Amino acid sequence: MSNMSVHDELDQAIDQMLFEPEARPARVLQTNVGELIELASDLRDLPLANFKSRLQLELEWEAAGRSVSIATDGSRQIVQAAAPYSAGVLQSLFGKNWAGYPVRRVNFALSVALHGVMAFLVGAGFLMVKNYAPRPDLHSVGVVRLEPYIVPVGSHPSDGGGSGGAAERVRASRGVAPPATQEQLTPPLILRNNKQPKLAAAATVIAPPDLALPRTQEIGDPLSVLTNPSNGPGVGGGIGGKSGGGVGGDGGSGRGPGSEGGCCGNVYSPGNGVSVPHAIYSPEPEFSEEARRIKHQGEVTLLATIGTDGRTHNLLVVRSLGMGLDEKAIEAVRTWRFEPARKDGRPVAVQMNIIVNFHLF
Amino acid sequence: MNAVANLANLTSLNDERLLIQAAQNDPSRFAELYESNFNRVYAFVARRVKDREEAQDVTAEVFHQALRNLGHFQWRGVPFAAWLLRIAANALVDRWQRAAKRVEVPAEDGQIENEAGESDTAEVERRAMLFQLVDRLPSDQRLVVVRRFVDQKSIREIAGELGRSEGAVKQLQFRALETLRDQMRKSHE
Repeated sequence: MSNMSVHDELDQAIDQMLFEPEARPARVLQTNVGELIELASDLRDLPLANFKSRLQLELEWEAAGRSVSIATDGSRQIVQAAAPYSAGVLQSLFGKNWAGYPVRRVNFALSVALHGVMAFLVGAGFLMVKNYAPRPDLHSVGVVRLEPYIVPVGSHPSDGGGSGGAAERVRASRGVAPPATQEQLTPPLILRNNKQPKLAAAATVIAPPDLALPRTQEIGDPLSVLTNPSNGPGVGGGIGGKSGGGVGGDGGSGRGPGSEGGCCGNVYSPGNGVSVPHAIYSPEPEFSEEARRIKHQGEVTLLATIGTDGRTHNLLVVRSLGMGLDEKAIEAVRTWRFEPARKDGRPVAVQMNIIVNFHLF
Repeated sequence: MNAVANLANLTSLNDERLLIQAAQNDPSRFAELYESNFNRVYAFVARRVKDREEAQDVTAEVFHQALRNLGHFQWRGVPFAAWLLRIAANALVDRWQRAAKRVEVPAEDGQIENEAGESDTAEVERRAMLFQLVDRLPSDQRLVVVRRFVDQKSIREIAGELGRSEGAVKQLQFRALETLRDQMRKSHE
């Protein structure tokens, strides 16, 4: 007889034993099946699968100090030692849940205290950690630039700037540009024919007036290499080789390259009708390895021109931090994108300070 | 006393004495005594009540009483199981008396063995061993045994629950019983 038939024969006998215990036992054909059926008969008395573990939990619960009483009818009842307000609330805490585990209230109190401490630490972390993301300095500060004046280049070289001259043969001599103003009364002149004008007015160029420039030199063309006084070959007053009342290489009443007045290729400063550019993409800079190693931190101030294309140009370090952080700041700010500043509804380039914070904590 | 000595096959008397002392000093150590005597007490009770629910109630009552009275236990060289079985016998007598049924009550430590007889004690020990071996079966075989003999489900129901064919479940049942038989034979050798 095959093994399968032994399985069937055994199963048939077990079925009869389980479901028809009063019936006459089936005839057992296989010699070893009878022995197995005797075992199967004893297995009918097995306790429920979870009874042993459940009883063990009860005993552990009782050993932990909780009282368990046996009712007169034999059924087990839990006696609540002291839980007047436990009904329906935190049943496992007060030991009402038989499927639960032994509970000591001191452990619960410790758990609550520990959770409170952890919540405080997490909250304190949010309060203590400073945001070290770089932020643009929207309140433009007066920056003292000790380095030689460098005429920045605007987004469009044909805009802004100025030139002039007195139709002289020699090119304009070297010097600094005169003070900037929004409205020009008198163009700058190096050599004046009228020594005593009836109505004297300071020579100015049209440019953002809040850009500080060193005043230690004579006025002239900052890009010139000549030192002999000359107004330049241009016409219309001013200093330079083209027409207009400004200073520089192109026409106009401003200074620097470009025409139509203004500074530095029509670069403005925020304020006076010029809106502040808004950063729309400003990834955080990375720390340099050497700065991280010695926990060097602080702020790097950059002077940047935000072009009409929303990109940063002519990045200059105004306040250095060293340890490679200046380079990291420039590297990050160079990738920034702005919604350009606007003047009279159209985008214009502005020059402004950007402070980049480097804080480890 | 020979019968009692047979009950202590799994744990030597000396080790058991240390376990009892440990449990008397620290009730949480009672779990070890419970673990080594559960099947024995349950088999003793189940053989007398013939009802699983009642057997479980009496067994639980025995261990709760034992835990509460552990401090009064005095070591006299008698296995701990004998003390538990006396508690079980008394619990059964109380229960039967409440049910107005007649039963013979063993009063002393040695009387339970004398009245029950060596063959009865050996049968209790055999069943305790069998119940213990069920816990050691492979998980699939143990599951089939529990479903079949405790939950009393048909082969078809078990096959549906396990997602296996009826033939496979019958085979598991056969192998489980064969394994139990072989292990029982080994334990008696």
